[in-house]
Amino acid sequence: MNDFLINLENVLQALSAGLLLGGIYGLMCVGLGIIFGVMRVINFGQGDLMMVGMYCAFYLFTTLGIGNFLGAEVGAIVAALLTGPIMYVFGLLLHRFLVSRVTGVRVAGLEGEGHYAQLILTLGMALILANGGLLLFGSTPVSIKSSLSSSAWEVGPFVGEFVSIFVNKARGIALVVSLAVAAALYFFITRSRLGKSLRAAADNPEAAIYMGIDVDKAHRMAFGIGTAVTAVAGGLVASYYPFQPYVGLEFVIVMYAGVVLGGLGSIIGAFWGGMIIGLVQQLATLVLPTQLQNTAVFVVFLLVVFLRPQGLFGVNVTRA
Amino acid sequence: MLELDDVHVAYGGLKALAGVSVKVGAGDFVSIIGPNGAGKTTLFKCISGIVAPVQGTIRFDGQDLTKVPAADRPHLGIAHVPEGRQVFPNLSVLENLEMGAWTYAGRRDWTDNLEYILGLFPVLASRRDQLAGTLSGGEQQMVAIGRGLASSPRLLMLDEPSMGLAPTIVDSIFERIVEIRRDKKLTVLLVEQRAVEALQSCDRGYVLETGRVVLEGGHEELLSDDRVRKAYLGI
Ligand SMILES: Nc1ncnc2c1ncn2[C@@H]1O[C@H](COP(=O)(O)OP(=O)(O)OP(=O)(O)O)[C@@H](O)[C@H]1O
Ligand SMILES: [Mg+2]
Repeated sequence: MNDFLINLENVLQALSAGLLLGGIYGLMCVGLGIIFGVMRVINFGQGDLMMVGMYCAFYLFTTLGIGNFLGAEVGAIVAALLTGPIMYVFGLLLHRFLVSRVTGVRVAGLEGEGHYAQLILTLGMALILANGGLLLFGSTPVSIKSSLSSSAWEVGPFVGEFVSIFVNKARGIALVVSLAVAAALYFFITRSRLGKSLRAAADNPEAAIYMGIDVDKAHRMAFGIGTAVTAVAGGLVASYYPFQPYVGLEFVIVMYAGVVLGGLGSIIGAFWGGMIIGLVQQLATLVLPTQLQNTAVFVVFLLVVFLRPQGLFGVNVTRA
Repeated sequence: MLELDDVHVAYGGLKALAGVSVKVGAGDFVSIIGPNGAGKTTLFKCISGIVAPVQGTIRFDGQDLTKVPAADRPHLGIAHVPEGRQVFPNLSVLENLEMGAWTYAGRRDWTDNLEYILGLFPVLASRRDQLAGTLSGGEQQMVAIGRGLASSPRLLMLDEPSMGLAPTIVDSIFERIVEIRRDKKLTVLLVEQRAVEALQSCDRGYVLETGRVVLEGGHEELLSDDRVRKAYLGI
């Protein structure tokens, strides 16, 4: 095998790792993106909601016995998916009792449209969740172990008997599930009546009320869905990645960067934003030391913000 | 059908409406005219529930509207075509109309209503998949009116549909409004700065100035009133 083939293999391997990571990042970003897109609220607690989702999947898998009952492989996926509805309800409750007090029609006329209060509330929520997690779950990292996370599919060889890439099975399955969830959400938002009403409430809350759309309810649903989607992404990450209650911090930056990169308010954009970050992180390892992965991400991030401030998928339709 | 009695509205300390009473009977075409800042839009927002009156009652078909949440009012049959059109810019024309049909009645009559709306404004048919935010002002006004009609309303409220439009388009919009009223046997409440057109099409009118009704009457009566002629018709 000559140098060229070795390089080719490295590039392909990094590309596939980037796609696997990016698909999961994309789903996380969609969760944050839908909350921002519909409610115009920056949720600083999103990373910690994801952490709760990860523990939710973990306890479904272990304590509730889904892992034993369905087998570790299927169980890990089912646990991640079940996290969705559970965290949806959690999101609804959070919105009902906390978030709705500083968002929506109620604060429309306030100074800064309530952004200060939102910042403090969601930041507070983040701290409470992270520290609450520490009390409840302890600081020892846990993970959902299955044979999938330590085995791989070989794709290839592409050139004669050379150039194969290896796809970790747990990550591969996580990517497929993540794409499926993102696609389902995309169809919900663009095609269904309810999804359209969420977009209408985002576009012009006052006009939405004139249509008879309950904007507060639309916000609650968006917060629930956003929480659930990020939590499912977390549940999928949990199937191959050890975590502890502060894991939210590791991902929250990725989520913000992804959402801004894709274009604030664009839900599809959020997915591609996350995807790009995953790809950049992995491809950067080809030319940069691993410690500089995130630096590469921010260079790309700054470039996009500099050259295309509305983000890759941001639309600049003037408001009537 | 709609009855406002002694309605007061204040924004902070500023009084926008100071005891307004307006009556709209079933099938009536009522116009409200008045200068900028008179409180016309505020009156509409009050009927739709976006702002709450500090005093006074609003009844729709005998029901006390102030006790009905804003988002439930369209379901009673009230359609509000707001000032400045306020279409959903990132939704397509068709999706905008679909959102108009969010009410129970609108959902039931969707197919018929859509056909009627596209017949009324044929341009919209060729623009159905275009984002509403990219439409011209006149087209957006058509979307806004169409969106109101899609809810199968009994009362259609229009807030300055002529705003910012060229004279020929204004004429055609007014013609459409008269046509809609005739076809659908709707009750119409119209707010306008263009007093001539508004008074010519209506049965009855009100003149609103600084939050008070200063004059009301049948359309002949208002058109021949000296004060109206001087202040609003420029005669
Ligand atoms: N959200 C608000 N906050 C504070 N004051 C307001 C608000 N909306 C309206 N006002 C004030 O209330 C008064 C009435 O406003 P309104 O918009 O009802 O007038 P209008 O008759 O519709 O005027 P125009 O013909 O220009 O549309 C104005 O003095 C306006 O400045
Ligand atoms: Mg006005």
